[in-house]
Amino acid sequence: MRHIFKTTALTGLLACAAVSAQAATTVEFWHSFKGASGEVLDGIIAEFEAANPGIDIEASYIGNYNDIVAKLQAAIPARRAPDAVILEVTRYGLFADRGVLAELDGYLEADPLRDDLFGFAREVGVYQGKTWIVPFNSSTPVLYVNKAVFAEAGMEEIPDLGDFDAILAAAQTVQQSLGDDGISGIAAPGQFARWGLIMANDSDLIDSVSGDILIDAPETVEAYEWMASLVSGHGVASVDGVTEEDNGRDAFLAGKVGMMMNSTGNFRSAKTALGEDLAVLPMPCNRACSVPIGGAGIGILSSAEAEVQQAAWRFISYAAGAESNAKWFAGTGYMPINRNTAAQPVAAAALEQEPGITVAIGQLDVARGRPRPPVVTWMRASEYDVWQAMALGQREVAPALEDFAARTRAEAARTN
Amino acid sequence: MRRDTLWSWAALAAGLIFLSPVLYTVVLSFQSVEAYYAGGFSFTLKNYAQAFGQYDFLRYLLNSILVSGVVTLGGLAMAVTAAFAFARFDFPGGNLMFAAVVATLMIPSHITLIPNYLTLARAGLLDSYAGLILPALANGFAAFFLRQYIRGIPRALDEAAYMDGARPRQVLWRVIVPISRPAILSMGLYIFIGEWNNYIWPLVALNDRDLYTLQIGLAQLYKENPGEDLVNWPLVMAASTITILPILLGFLLVERHLVRGITMGAVK
Amino acid sequence: MHSRATPYLLVAPLILFVGVFTYVPILTSLDLSFREWDFLSPDRPWVGLENYRLVMSSQEFWNSVRVTALFAAISVPLRLCLALGIASYLVREALPQRLLRGALFLPSVTSTVAIAVVFSWLFATDYGMINAALAALGLPRLHWLQDPGLALWVIIIVNTWKQLGYDIVIYIAGLQAIPQDLYDAAAVDGGRRGHVFRRVTVPLVMPTTYFLLMISVIEAFQVFTVVDVMTRGGPAGATDMLVNLLYRVGFTLFDIGTGSAIAVLLFVLLTALALIKSRVLGRRVHYEA
Repeated sequence: MRHIFKTTALTGLLACAAVSAQAATTVEFWHSFKGASGEVLDGIIAEFEAANPGIDIEASYIGNYNDIVAKLQAAIPARRAPDAVILEVTRYGLFADRGVLAELDGYLEADPLRDDLFGFAREVGVYQGKTWIVPFNSSTPVLYVNKAVFAEAGMEEIPDLGDFDAILAAAQTVQQSLGDDGISGIAAPGQFARWGLIMANDSDLIDSVSGDILIDAPETVEAYEWMASLVSGHGVASVDGVTEEDNGRDAFLAGKVGMMMNSTGNFRSAKTALGEDLAVLPMPCNRACSVPIGGAGIGILSSAEAEVQQAAWRFISYAAGAESNAKWFAGTGYMPINRNTAAQPVAAAALEQEPGITVAIGQLDVARGRPRPPVVTWMRASEYDVWQAMALGQREVAPALEDFAARTRAEAARTN
Repeated sequence: MRRDTLWSWAALAAGLIFLSPVLYTVVLSFQSVEAYYAGGFSFTLKNYAQAFGQYDFLRYLLNSILVSGVVTLGGLAMAVTAAFAFARFDFPGGNLMFAAVVATLMIPSHITLIPNYLTLARAGLLDSYAGLILPALANGFAAFFLRQYIRGIPRALDEAAYMDGARPRQVLWRVIVPISRPAILSMGLYIFIGEWNNYIWPLVALNDRDLYTLQIGLAQLYKENPGEDLVNWPLVMAASTITILPILLGFLLVERHLVRGITMGAVK
Repeated sequence: MHSRATPYLLVAPLILFVGVFTYVPILTSLDLSFREWDFLSPDRPWVGLENYRLVMSSQEFWNSVRVTALFAAISVPLRLCLALGIASYLVREALPQRLLRGALFLPSVTSTVAIAVVFSWLFATDYGMINAALAALGLPRLHWLQDPGLALWVIIIVNTWKQLGYDIVIYIAGLQAIPQDLYDAAAVDGGRRGHVFRRVTVPLVMPTTYFLLMISVIEAFQVFTVVDVMTRGGPAGATDMLVNLLYRVGFTLFDIGTGSAIAVLLFVLLTALALIKSRVLGRRVHYEA
């Protein structure tokens, strides 16, 4: 009896293996890249598929990081989640905590990739001692300057932009001389840049080690007061970038803004739009030199079948490999995550020809990973409204942040 | 006579001014994006080619037609049969059920949003045509309206048919439906337009772009900001025109039915 | 002639669908409003009135109540006054009147999303037609959709533009139902035009006004699409209607319990409004007519 059972199981297994050898394994993959970076990603996927004939990556552009989080969360009760997904580095903890993501340590331990990844790239995927995502695109915020706008405003040389006061002064110079032509001094900082500016003021939103909520810490309040004053006090940033942060970037790309602080992932499109007029500088050090590590990594859904999970891992490993990472780095401006990337010809060429692309890498000494417990997802989704209210002069910064901190603490108590 | 002519011109002018946003939308949709930002005008069909091709609006258009069509037919069938029963039969629980149907007119639809999402998620019907159609089928207003209309039809007509040996279903089909045709047509338009313009439910229920209706496709196109740095307004306007046009054309054809349907419901 | 089951079979499909997609969901919402859930966890712990306490103590909720009430308080009377005024000029069945009626009615049947998109363009800061007109007149460009003091007005304008034609058509039907001899009698009494309008027309279309008031208030409390497309509740919550808040809490933050609590509160509010109105206005209609 037992023997028969064994034989049947074995035959079944063999049959399965035979079927899987013939039919392609399909990995449904959600991502957040469109336009130029979307094309680079498509290229990487096509090469992966050519090298792995048994695996079919069914990639869909879902929207930005927020959209992906929302769509993924909505997909869970409907059981229509994908097999692999791009998740931003502070917002995967929720899904790891609720058992939605599969642990990747087993795969990573057995993969040479483990030793090739930079330390920071290993660290951003770890939550509560386990690995949940492997970075695909890593970034820090940098300070982009339109040299032509600066020159037109009388600043032939880019002045020192090392702290808040210096940036404000330059923005005011641009605004005063070119404001009437519809050119503004600086783009209202987006959420990633805001977090960076808070860190540059020697504070944080949530402490990455202790988990303490620092939204109402004095240095955080001070940083927000400065950011809000760019819009409503000094009027050097357009309100259009407050209600829709992409507008600020689009206006910078269109040559209508003097400076912007944004992810290094915008390097390629900014270079294409502004050419030689583009300068890339490190983020300011106001009270401290510290920048956040941003970007996203690929995670695997625990609901996917074992075989699909394995195929998804192969894709993750390929995408983080030196060859793909070099194409990605050269094509977008996101930072190298693999120690061997710089040695690849395409990356070496980019490094040589375009010094701006290395600014983010240079900042790595002061770059830090950020917290990622479940409450961060809520905090980031809710921060937009608080920022709008402060930047548009609807609420005083200090009380608004006190209130927001209290709400975040309550939410942390509920969800963490 | 002269006063009337004057009135006509004034009315026409007033109407055009009022509709200028729509008219300008149509004009802009034939404008090339380069000329738009350069401040000139040059006629092109490229925006439509792009909208229908690259941006999948042909598919969205067909989805909208399919979903609205099925909701209209299914909704009418349900409403007519129920209205017939409510108007012509006296049965225990009938009044209560009619009241429950009429009460849905007062119930704000958003309270059903999360539960319906969960129901269809459990049934595995999100991201399917069925998931768009099923929650929209029951139409309390159509049932109420048709019941009122059918009550206005002399009972003698039914009774004559029953004398001839007809069964209730035949009475419904051969007597009630033909007489109620104008009311049914009005309700059909009312349901079709309502479903065509439905936004929040497909927004919640759809993930798969292949199933997008025009409303969702247009909102998404606008949100995703086509174009490199600046919004490609002419393309967005072409997509808007595609979204508006079918209803606009239908409106010109059947305005009287539509207006009658709406006013009959309100004033009775 | 027919079996006793016949009427039940005839109403069965409608009743079934109304039950499954309207009445059961109300109970489900009520149940979920006492629980905590984020769509991800397998369990949904019972938390009693905690979600309601959270909603009632949140600034966002009261902001939405205020914004929605303000929207209703401005846009409903605006719509009704404009509609009655215009309808009384368009009541005649002549060609110009009919043409204008058609033009005014058209927006009410077209896509709200498309209209919201088109008006987003009209009110755009840099390339919008309205700012272009202001600039041509030497006036400063306004940040229509980015200025918290202006955005709600834009939403009101768009909503009024869209819904006005519907109100007009209903009013015309109501006006046509007034017997002509009442006007004649008023004219014989020497009533001036404005006088006749106030003393005859307004009271006699009271049932129509009541109907429109009821549906437009209920509608105002359910506004979502225009806001979602044009401002998504911003800037700084200035246009954050109750349904937009509900959508955000439910389908962006996935706080299903709190979202359901908001849904239940809105449901209770609208039902109460409907009951109060039918009481108060019901009496007045009888008295004046």
